[in-house]
Amino acid sequence: MNAKIKSDEIVLSVKNLTKNFDKLEVLKGIDIDVKKGEVVAVIGPSGCGKSTFLRCLNCMEDPTGGVIMFQGENLVDRKVDINVHRQKIGMVFQQFNLFNNLTIIKNITLAPNVVALGNLRKAKCKNFFIKFANLFRKKDAKKPLIEIKQTKKEIKKANEEKAYALLKRIGLEEKANAYPSTLSGGQKQRIAIIRALAMDPIVMLFDEPTSALDPEMVGEVLDLMKQLAIDGMTMVIVTHEMGFAREVADRVVFIDEGRIKEESAPAEFFSNPKNDRLKDFLSKVL
Amino acid sequence: MIDWAKLWNSFTFQFIDKGGYKEVLRGLGATVQIAVFGLIIGIIVGMFIAIIKVMPKYNFFAKILDKFAVVYVAIFRGTPMVVQLLVGHYFLRPLIGWTCDPLIEAIVIFGLNSGAYVSEIMRGGIQSIDVGQLEAGRAVGLTFWTAMFRIVIPQAIKNIIPTLGNEFITLVKETSVASFVTVLDLYRAFEQIGYASYSFLIPYLVLALIYIVLIVIITIGVKLIERRLKKNERKN
Ligand SMILES: Nc1ncnc2c1ncn2[C@@H]1O[C@H](COP(=O)(O)OP(=O)(O)O)[C@@H](O)[C@H]1O
Ligand SMILES: [Mg+2]
Repeated sequence: MNAKIKSDEIVLSVKNLTKNFDKLEVLKGIDIDVKKGEVVAVIGPSGCGKSTFLRCLNCMEDPTGGVIMFQGENLVDRKVDINVHRQKIGMVFQQFNLFNNLTIIKNITLAPNVVALGNLRKAKCKNFFIKFANLFRKKDAKKPLIEIKQTKKEIKKANEEKAYALLKRIGLEEKANAYPSTLSGGQKQRIAIIRALAMDPIVMLFDEPTSALDPEMVGEVLDLMKQLAIDGMTMVIVTHEMGFAREVADRVVFIDEGRIKEESAPAEFFSNPKNDRLKDFLSKVL
Repeated sequence: MIDWAKLWNSFTFQFIDKGGYKEVLRGLGATVQIAVFGLIIGIIVGMFIAIIKVMPKYNFFAKILDKFAVVYVAIFRGTPMVVQLLVGHYFLRPLIGWTCDPLIEAIVIFGLNSGAYVSEIMRGGIQSIDVGQLEAGRAVGLTFWTAMFRIVIPQAIKNIIPTLGNEFITLVKETSVASFVTVLDLYRAFEQIGYASYSFLIPYLVLALIYIVLIVIITIGVKLIERRLKKNERKN
């Protein structure tokens, strides 16, 4: 298996997660802890709720109940600022979902720029008030200003350089100024992956990232994901690529009827399944 | 038989000798201003209404906004333009003690009216963009409004340019009712020229011609914009 160092630090902790669409109970209580650097593959029959589970993890679907602990906060709680946490949870979709109105480089830098420039604006705004309040403070009681390390221009430049480095990594630098409509499916999905990477996520979620690809392009995407796994990225991957799950995952999870029916290391999972539904499922897909 | 020489004389008399062209230019200015600024206001108002309508209705605030949007569109689409102008001019104007130029008043009312129509156009445009892109934006931590303005709206506007062009043409033609509230628009200018010498045939023919020319110009402009945007897409 991967030679990466595993700590016992839990990145994402899910307790009794439930999700209903009106009357339809899709998730009936999912418990799972994802450790730092771990790769979890999620498999299960179509319509069993794999996508729903994944989309609940970053609250793209609002969970009906349960607890999702991430960065010391419960994401299910409506009072939590979900946008801040989503910046650290990368998500890759089956349909790539690149921003069609933006060039590749802008696709990658949009969110990092918006976030960093937003923070800069907030810091400047706070400094303004601190300065104002300092006018009325005694000399030795003046509050220090928030340190601003980078100007707007420097932030944009740094983000762009980083985006180019990521593009170089996947060998697509020459596409930086192209629009998404000119790329192949495999290229689009690899861009989507590095677009998520540009935010330095703590964990990445993949929802059948190769299902919409022509067969000859599946390899390039899986190779990139394997690279991420080797580099120690924490990943939760919904997939139908059993070979990939067996090779790259540290743990495979079988979801059926809204629950986790079986989970184990891939060797055990595929060679010695215990649940009958899983046996049945594996016999159909292998 | 039409006596062309007589018509020509009548034309030069009404428009040149009596200075009718000045009124035409002033009327043209008013008409263009109402249509252009009305459309700009309409696009801004319509965009917000459309976004409110597609916004997830989680909290109370969003629900209230949605109700407001529904009522707004019902009022402005459910009554004729003239009635809105008249109510604005003879009821709301004294009510809030507004004393501006009737031209400004017409621009505002045309803008609000157009906003109701543009909101429906814009909503169609927004819904034509697959929701995956919005989700991808939200998934990297952009707020709903940021994702909307940076990703969805630019593409939506591009898709609805031809329909917005139609809305603009409708506005240009509808400006003729602004004369009901004492705006000296194109229609009013020609009416005055007609009354000045009690001869209406030529003025109204020229009026029709000017409207047609305006609308042809707009149609060509919209086509050019469309082509520009398409070219942009194919770069590389
Ligand atoms: N937005 C939604 N509204 C209503 N039902 C939904 C929605 N999304 C998914 N479902 C239902 O939830 C179930 C699980 O869907 P999904 O999570 O997409 O399954 P999977 O990804 O495992 O194929 C399906 O029965 C589907 O019809
Ligand atoms: Mg799915």
